[in-house]
Amino acid sequence: MILTALLLVLAQNPAQDPRYDRLDPDTRARVITIVDSARGVGLPSEPLIHRALEGAMKSASSERIVVAVRRLAADLGTARLALGAKATTPELEAGVAALRAGASPAVLTRVREVRRPPVTMALAVLADLVASGVPADSAAAAIIVLAPSARDAELAEFRRAVERDIALGAPPAAATSVRSVGVSSVQVDATARGAQPGKP
Amino acid sequence: MFDQQEPGEEEIVERVVRALKRPVYIDRALDARVMSEIARPAPAQPMTRRAWTRRAWPWLAAAAALAAIVIARPWSRDRTPPQSGALQFVLIAPQAASVSLVGDFNDWDPTRAPMRAARDGVWATVVSLSPGRYRYAFLVNGVEWRADPTAPVARDDEFGSPSSVVTVGGRGS
Repeated sequence: MILTALLLVLAQNPAQDPRYDRLDPDTRARVITIVDSARGVGLPSEPLIHRALEGAMKSASSERIVVAVRRLAADLGTARLALGAKATTPELEAGVAALRAGASPAVLTRVREVRRPPVTMALAVLADLVASGVPADSAAAAIIVLAPSARDAELAEFRRAVERDIALGAPPAAATSVRSVGVSSVQVDATARGAQPGKP
Repeated sequence: MFDQQEPGEEEIVERVVRALKRPVYIDRALDARVMSEIARPAPAQPMTRRAWTRRAWPWLAAAAALAAIVIARPWSRDRTPPQSGALQFVLIAPQAASVSLVGDFNDWDPTRAPMRAARDGVWATVVSLSPGRYRYAFLVNGVEWRADPTAPVARDDEFGSPSSVVTVGGRGS
């Protein structure tokens, strides 16, 4: 009851969020303005607050924090345009990561079209592959192939396998291509077995 | 055995036969009493379990359907139920006096996830996370930022210190 009342107060007056106290007064005022604007157009505020807190914790300058928060708000907006108004906060955050990794908004939209929600893991794996050195186009192509049927755990394992191959010296694009074919064939086999009851 | 039957038994049998042959006198009002008993409405019996089930099943079915709809939430696009997973974070830092795990999941507050030194400089902690993508880093001795060497790096590091990312999956497709 008390918690609910507190949350209601915070929702009505976000400036009273005690987490803002960790920002210096100038940064705080500017971040609150950005967060309020974002919330006004329906974007989630938590990722923005987290980014400001990260900057403050890392002793970044006020200007740097404000630029980072403003840029994140813009990217969240782009991700929402690509993923649709019903995209969840984790999906939007993963979408931002994919966009910053080099995926186009069209790729995000395509992943949304072919995969049952949530698309968080698919977009996060795309971003992580690029961070591992896989070209953005190769990573996007692999994710679009795998997204319709691969489960989250399979996508995570796919990423780990590609990273292992790269660490062992495989060219990133080749590792991605080979591993994605492997995951796809496993799924095809599983589907075929499922279509023939009684067979192992 | 029949040859040895005593004469008294024959007499008994004969008496029984005579009794059975005797005409039966029926009360003239019997028919009226029987018919009035039949016509009288039956007293209310306590409802048996089976009868109760028969009457209640439409309501039970409706309640079950309602519960299924509420649980499945077909109107919701995100049909993944909130799940949380306990993840262990480990950093090998033999020279460290203290290590904290800080990230989006604890508002970048080093006091909320201090790590424990196991042995030989291995620091570890376990955090329960719901599905999502989180940025985090290790804070060593309160001043030194380190990324997790076992996790993907956050490419968009805008503050000059390394961070890592962890993605917790839901059910997915």
